[in-house]
Amino acid sequence: MEISIMAKSISSKLEKALGDQFPEGERYFGLENFGNTCYCNSVLQALYFCVPFREQLLDYYANNKNIGDAEENLLTCLADLFSQKKKTGVIAPKRFVQRLKKQNELFRSYMHQDAHEFLNFLLNELVDILEKEAQSAKSDPETSSPNEKIANGPKNPQPNGIRKEPLVTWVHKNFQGILTNETKCLRCETVTARDETFFDLSLDIEQNSSITSCLKNFSSTETLNAEDKFFCDKCCSLQEAQKRMKIKKPPHILVIHLKRFKYIEQLGRYKKLSYRVVFPLELKLSNTVEDADIEYSLFAVVVHVGSGPNHGHYVSLVKSHNHWLFFDDENVEMIDESAVQTFFGSAQEYSSNTDHGYILFYESLGASNKS
Amino acid sequence: MINPSNGMISTSSSAANAQSPGLKTYFKTPEGRYKLHYEKTHPSGLLHYAHGKTVTQVTLANLKDKPAPSTPPAPASSFSASSGVRSAAARLLGAGNGSRALGFVGGNGGSKSLSGSSRIGSLGASSSSTSMINTNFDGKGTYIIFNVGDAIFISDLNSQDKDPIKSIHFSNSNPVCHAFDQDAKDGHDLLVGLNSGDVYSVSLRQQLQDVGKKLVGAHHYNKDGSVNNSRCTSIAWVPGGDGSFVVAHADGNLYVYEKASLHYQQNKDGAGDSSFPVIKDQTQFSVAHARYSKSNPIARWHICQGPINSIAFSTDGTYLATVGRDGILLSLYRLFLTFNSLYELKFFVQSRLSTSFRLFKRTTYLRWKKLLWCAIMLCLENFKGVFDNKVPLNSMDGKYILTGGEDDLVQVWSMEDRKVVAWGEGHNSWVSGVAFDSYWSSPNSDGTGETIMYRFGSVGQDTRLLLWDLEMDEIVVPLRRGPPGGSPTFSTGSQSAHWDNVCPVGTLQPAPSMRDVPKLSPLVAHRIHTEPLSGLIFTQESVLTVCREGHIKIWMRPGFAESPSGNSETLLSTSSKEKPLLSNKIGSSSYRQ
Repeated sequence: MEISIMAKSISSKLEKALGDQFPEGERYFGLENFGNTCYCNSVLQALYFCVPFREQLLDYYANNKNIGDAEENLLTCLADLFSQKKKTGVIAPKRFVQRLKKQNELFRSYMHQDAHEFLNFLLNELVDILEKEAQSAKSDPETSSPNEKIANGPKNPQPNGIRKEPLVTWVHKNFQGILTNETKCLRCETVTARDETFFDLSLDIEQNSSITSCLKNFSSTETLNAEDKFFCDKCCSLQEAQKRMKIKKPPHILVIHLKRFKYIEQLGRYKKLSYRVVFPLELKLSNTVEDADIEYSLFAVVVHVGSGPNHGHYVSLVKSHNHWLFFDDENVEMIDESAVQTFFGSAQEYSSNTDHGYILFYESLGASNKS
Repeated sequence: MINPSNGMISTSSSAANAQSPGLKTYFKTPEGRYKLHYEKTHPSGLLHYAHGKTVTQVTLANLKDKPAPSTPPAPASSFSASSGVRSAAARLLGAGNGSRALGFVGGNGGSKSLSGSSRIGSLGASSSSTSMINTNFDGKGTYIIFNVGDAIFISDLNSQDKDPIKSIHFSNSNPVCHAFDQDAKDGHDLLVGLNSGDVYSVSLRQQLQDVGKKLVGAHHYNKDGSVNNSRCTSIAWVPGGDGSFVVAHADGNLYVYEKASLHYQQNKDGAGDSSFPVIKDQTQFSVAHARYSKSNPIARWHICQGPINSIAFSTDGTYLATVGRDGILLSLYRLFLTFNSLYELKFFVQSRLSTSFRLFKRTTYLRWKKLLWCAIMLCLENFKGVFDNKVPLNSMDGKYILTGGEDDLVQVWSMEDRKVVAWGEGHNSWVSGVAFDSYWSSPNSDGTGETIMYRFGSVGQDTRLLLWDLEMDEIVVPLRRGPPGGSPTFSTGSQSAHWDNVCPVGTLQPAPSMRDVPKLSPLVAHRIHTEPLSGLIFTQESVLTVCREGHIKIWMRPGFAESPSGNSETLLSTSSKEKPLLSNKIGSSSYRQ
């Protein structure tokens, strides 16, 4: 009862703010918090406004409703949640959260959880579900799989030790990128290239830096020595080596996780880094293997609010139809684009500002500049 | 040429004491040390207003010497006579002890209390400090104008006082940009643009002479955002434009205003404000004129969909350059708009535009689209010399434009070739200010060399100042071309290598991608502030750097560092006498509201 009353006031406020500009068919609803579930709500909002992901999830769900008829899983719960009809107001993602807690004991407690861990878990879980369903569809000759066939035959499944990646699901198509990890043994100078897939990039951060700079550091050459030597297959021993990571295939949706929670050995615990890391609304990715720069546009930010790693709150900023919205559990507000910069972080260590961008969602702007 | 670093600690620097840990009070360059000379800031306690909302910008204002001190300055009609004592009073009252000043004014029953307060001021000030002040604002003086939160602050560039001598508060909105024209004829030389879109023009001298905390004698344009209610982003006088000026807004529009006192009768009701037709297509460039001939602004240029982040005129007023966030190719094309005069503009802008556009299409600009989309800051060389009207030693010939932006890069654009001819990598965060050092002279320049060397500086949100050297042949052949890998040829460690290298290598071909454009490496890079920086200005004696939160540092050039240090000792002694009067604590508390 209470919620519906509150929902009404929120919805009318937002609808008033948007007026005629309320995008047709778009929905802006808050998500109820069931006790420290803001980590979940903030990520769900970001994923909801990842339009290709949302559309493909709902498409898949519509086409495959019969496959797992009896079985409820995270995918069906998420699709249910995303296909609700309310234009504004508040939704209780009860089934989703219950399912999540059932599936993973990590999220079972009422403790503060890490939003990035949740996002990672969710995407991998969705992939598992899709792979399982594709498997069962394949083993059943009566039904033809709606997904792409397993890429067998001419392709060697394990070149350079790629993780077994037989099926390219729509989750992969949206989020997966490929990193190439080149290691050069400093003794025999053999370069070993190893490809790795990723759903997000976790970046080390520095005070008063930019995402571009963090990405540059991520791809910079690192020397492996002392404790950290590299086992060279050719030399058959531990050797000093140089290592660098480059982006071989940039993903369509680039998720950047800022490593704000850092283990400080002297303290024996995690500490939150409140560094000011500026992130642009339009990002140019230049540390790719190919020469072309890829452009991305920011559409969502998951923000961690608080000074420590074990407590605090998560909210999200979302860009939808050229408007920026602020989602704080049940509350949805319109904000000005210029407000995004207040979530960059603190230029000095002790600051009253504790709202810091934590996970950034960028969507590729399409074809890159070939010239 | 390179100053041997012998680890000498600069103890003579007077302003160096209140430093943040980890920050040095000097930085080294091949020509010597730049020493921190003065710091300027606003009274503390204002910071929270500014956080994340307004970014401090700095304008240097050089008030010209007036022929005789007894002649009242033209704009200050209400001000009867000027004297050193009175100046001192206004200065002291406007400075550290605002609350006391207010108290005195109140004690005088709010009447015209200038004489009263001036007497008090002169009594309070020691003779040495008055004599110092005498040199100030009724005569020649250089002032720093900067905005923080809801206020504009004015500091004396050549005084060691940290606190401003004047603060002007805006009740309705935050000031965000300003511009000064020392050649303004009707006395209105200072422009201020607000977050609300409002624009004021005032006389700086009149503000300095007034003891209040409000603007005096101001002309108010776009009142309450009646013409455009989006944030002002940049404001500029039209060089030689006879008092006309342009204001850029966050919604991608730029307005041209005519000199107020000639064509525009101030209308208190705002009825004289212009109205403009609705913009049909936000993505298209368009020029519209005001519906009423006697209104101000007289014209609106719709430049781009997103905010116009910065504008700059070439010194002769021929070119107006703009950068905007979604500027992409529009910006570049705007970069070369001619702006000979407003009247010419009215009649010729369309045809000129189409010419440039054809030119634009024929060349390879589309390739540069990627470089510009994120440019947020731009500077055109002010080769006329903003400072002291001195012709700089190095020919700032208007051939190049610097930009910097959200890709952490600095770019050098050639006006002739209309493309990027060099780019610099070195900042770890967004570049927020770029400027040519027009007072710097190349160590090898004796006028016979075939190359021209330029020095420029950039500041960024990484709290650092970077200096760069750019060597340009007549046919645009930049030096220091990177090896095929694109990695820097000269690190900061090997600065001496190119220092002697005058001969250009290779010829620049039309470049298909940025990887083929010569890459510069910074000459020096120094962390100089604790907060992200927002701008820099070169003067003949110094470099000014400013951070977003409104702290300004003045670094003396190597050649100048010796003589002012002698001065600073005398200044120190005067300041010690002055200290009880101008205590920082009183100053800061008095500004709290």
